Amino acid sequence: MTLATSARFARRELRGGLRGFRIFLACLALGVAAIAAVGSTRAAIEAGLAREGAALLGGDAELDFTYRFADPDELAWMNEVATEVSEIADFRSMAVVDGPDGAERGLTQIKAVDDAYPLIGAVELTPDMPLDVALAAQNGLPGAVMERALIDRLGLAVGDTFRLGTQDFTLSAELTREPDSAAGGFALGPRTILLRTSLENAELLAPGTLFSSKYRLSLPPGTNLAALEADARDRFENSGLRWTDSRNGAPGVSEFVDRLGAFLVLVGLSGLAVGGVGVSAAVRAYLAEKTSVIATLRTLGAERSTIFQTYFIQIGTLSLLGIAIGLALGALLPVALAPIIEARLPIPASFAIYPGPLFESAIYGLLTAFVFTLWPLARAEDVRAATLFRDALGSSRLLPAPRYLVWIAVGLAALIGLAGLFSGTWWLTLWTSGGIAFALALLAIAATGIRWLSRHAAPRVKGRPALRWALGAISGTREGAASVVLSLGLGLSVLAAVGQIDGNLRNAISGNLPDVAPSYFFVDIQRDQMAGYTERLENDPAVSRIDSAPMLRGIITQINGKPAREVAGDHWVIHGDRGLTYSETPTENTRITAGQWWPEGYTGPPQISFAAEEAEEIGVGIGDTLTINILGRDITGTITSLREVDFSTAGIGFILSMNPSALQGAPHTFISTVYAEDAAEAQILRDIANAYPNVTAIRVRDAIDRVADVLAGLAAATSYGAAATLLTGFLVLIGAAAAGTQARTYEAAVLKTLGATRRRILISFATRAALLGLGAGAVALAAGIAGGWAVSNYVMDTDFTVIWPSALAIVIGGVTATMVAGLAFAWGPLAARPAQVLRGRE
Amino acid sequence: MSDPVLSLKNAALSLDGNAGRVDILHGITLDIARGETVGLVGPSGSGKSSLLMIMGGLERASGGSIHALGHDLTAMNEDALARFRRGHMGVVFQSFHLIPTMTALENVATPLELSGARDAFDRAEAELEAVGLGHRSRHYPSQMSGGEQQRVALARASVTRPDILLADEPTGNLDGANGSAIMDLLFDLRDRHGATLVLVTHAPALAARCDRVIQLADGRIAPEAREQDNAPDLKAAAE
Repeated sequence: MTLATSARFARRELRGGLRGFRIFLACLALGVAAIAAVGSTRAAIEAGLAREGAALLGGDAELDFTYRFADPDELAWMNEVATEVSEIADFRSMAVVDGPDGAERGLTQIKAVDDAYPLIGAVELTPDMPLDVALAAQNGLPGAVMERALIDRLGLAVGDTFRLGTQDFTLSAELTREPDSAAGGFALGPRTILLRTSLENAELLAPGTLFSSKYRLSLPPGTNLAALEADARDRFENSGLRWTDSRNGAPGVSEFVDRLGAFLVLVGLSGLAVGGVGVSAAVRAYLAEKTSVIATLRTLGAERSTIFQTYFIQIGTLSLLGIAIGLALGALLPVALAPIIEARLPIPASFAIYPGPLFESAIYGLLTAFVFTLWPLARAEDVRAATLFRDALGSSRLLPAPRYLVWIAVGLAALIGLAGLFSGTWWLTLWTSGGIAFALALLAIAATGIRWLSRHAAPRVKGRPALRWALGAISGTREGAASVVLSLGLGLSVLAAVGQIDGNLRNAISGNLPDVAPSYFFVDIQRDQMAGYTERLENDPAVSRIDSAPMLRGIITQINGKPAREVAGDHWVIHGDRGLTYSETPTENTRITAGQWWPEGYTGPPQISFAAEEAEEIGVGIGDTLTINILGRDITGTITSLREVDFSTAGIGFILSMNPSALQGAPHTFISTVYAEDAAEAQILRDIANAYPNVTAIRVRDAIDRVADVLAGLAAATSYGAAATLLTGFLVLIGAAAAGTQARTYEAAVLKTLGATRRRILISFATRAALLGLGAGAVALAAGIAGGWAVSNYVMDTDFTVIWPSALAIVIGGVTATMVAGLAFAWGPLAARPAQVLRGRE
Repeated sequence: MSDPVLSLKNAALSLDGNAGRVDILHGITLDIARGETVGLVGPSGSGKSSLLMIMGGLERASGGSIHALGHDLTAMNEDALARFRRGHMGVVFQSFHLIPTMTALENVATPLELSGARDAFDRAEAELEAVGLGHRSRHYPSQMSGGEQQRVALARASVTRPDILLADEPTGNLDGANGSAIMDLLFDLRDRHGATLVLVTHAPALAARCDRVIQLADGRIAPEAREQDNAPDLKAAAE
């Protein structure tokens, strides 16, 4: 017996057409298409970022410094290696417009540029004009351009005047496109671009002011970027230099896209798992139909392996067809929708057909099909010739042969392993897989529980025949209850988990904050402004609390004399520059957990008090030394105490505090948080801004809203992924409803013969669907709440409360979906004439 | 009797179902000689089909021994039984059990293909000609009448030239004319190829054509029929 003979039999069997396989194909195609579309879009964005790397960055390479401009050595090196250098200062400030009702203020992210900006790409303005014209002085005032959001907020029109610090500017145009905006990362305020030379009288870039300087380089063609980066790092090691180049022009964006893409692919995988339930149900139903054919083949002498191969080849062929349809959809949809997607994306994308993500989704599809179809296929070979003579007696085993279980386990491990490999986030993959497995197990138990309950409840329901028939029908078939509860339940579980996580995240960042969060952060307060600033606020009865601290920014470059990355890896504390402060005594709420704070008036070698949790994470403790680069100068201190720092209250929290004599000499400003009544906020802002134009106020509520906006976008993207999962679940549901039509038709015919009205039968069908939907919804809710709790508790470290509106929507959605699917297939059975049906069964 | 083709000693069959254990056959002892035609008769539920199944290795006996052509069927696993059947047995069913997605020719060729015969389709074609359906070889079962389908099933059962032909009520689903035509064909095939024929039937006329008739009741061979060859009452009924 050869594989060729099995293939021949399989081909003949496939002549039966795709009847019974529509849901199978749809499930597989939809799951693969979702993953392929996400992957293709991610590849398109990555290609766009790579293609536009230099334009996004605003140069072939960029050197970035915090708190300072480049020193002469650094400038000399840049001028030596580059054909052109452009210098930019980037910082936050308040734009002020004087009006009849007082001044309007808005937080803005300022980009102070030179004449060379932009080295690559073009700034687009409305009305259309060159940037140098827009920034040039008009009517004695320097020009500036702003984004529409800020223009509207300040009530400005082109040609109007506004103030930054103590300098007035003319708004000469609206900034409609900033070519290097994606490289800038997360900004709290809309952008304003002006010439750096026009800031000379603005008193904004005083020593200690928080700003970053960026130097964009145009490099000669063929420059080896990696070698140049190594050279720069070598020369200016520990100077606080950050290097970016056109190989990855917007590292923040590409990392974000990469992570979001990986996450959405995992959400897509859960959709594929739901599809797998449908695929499995379809194969089971198909093989059940084929029982007599299989038994006949066994009678004619077919071995078990022949039967398995015959149906494996058939299902494999159909799987390939489903995957091919999915790949075509997933590859072509993003290309077809490219104009719409590009219009909504703030970053460039090159939509095309990318083989990589298609290959990835095809592998996912193949492995899913393999894992979910092998079980029913393996049981097909257990069909015995005697089945032709009798149905129920001596029924086959529930479990397939052990070798198939091993293969299923291998397929599953390969699926999870490849998902981890492709997504690059093992822990997220394992969490997702664990979550899906947990939800499936819970749903399988629930399906069995619902059947058990129905079986035991049915005899107790007297006088309500419709309900009794519904309970009887649920308890009667293992397949029906299981496929409905599993398919719908898993889709709803994913959606419920997303709803719970999203809701709790929003609660964490906004819901609980007003009680404890300050109204404003004031930054860049100069040392000599502190007395007046404090006096204004301390005398205000509406202000309940002011916390002020000196703030510098520095980079931890070494730990115990070794490069920090070698000791602490990629921990966020050593990633870029961090705020640090100094203090004579511990602040009011500081709790020292180890060691001792330095004595008052201490002037010895620098001492450090470090945040206890972060110290443990990066593996440092009392007695360890840290070298911190502040404004290009290295300061090495010893950790002498650890303390608790609470970041959740949005107040001031510094990882690193030093004794005053260590830092006082460095130029710095102060940061201050003000806790005030809502009604007093506007007046405080006016007074402080008028008295100290250089001080920037960040309204905490606005900042939180901005973060919430970003999170809302993430939640929306995740919800789309979950919706694809739910759609697949609904397809499986329709498949299950369609598969049960014949049984329901017979049941309805018998009930009609016994005198049941169509209304009563319909009520029974609806009750059955509603009970299953309720079960699926309830389990999904439990799984979703458990998932949400786990993510909130272990991943985000936030409190968890059940978001009831979302939870109830899940249950109602579950009941509605099963009712719609169930009743859509009820009309046929209700309309059929009993005589026809019953004669056909004889 | 020379070496029997089929030999059952104390064969028993019990099955476990949802309602508990059901005893179907009890202590059947029986020898069937090469070339003999045997009719299994008895009321519904008497165990006729089950006896036929354990003879064909389609069902595993739960007790006793069953030898076919000297091979102990009770010692074989499912695949060994399948290989034995395709080499030595042909089975005809009341419900034909043709594979709906295969043409008549492909249905007939299937057991030969399973045996790895290179000329499977030529031989199948010839066998269809022999049952008078050469012109219908490309037709699917759904395009044929019941009588035609059973003729295809007969061709499929005989195409491997089996030593033993087992037929389970082969005329049960056919009208009188078609039933009698199939009966003629079945005996004609048996005569031409010299196979041993065991058939289950409710039809007295068909049973009367057998060399020996075995009456079953409650899973046992009825004592009065045990040694009756060419039972006269059945012969009379046939006439």
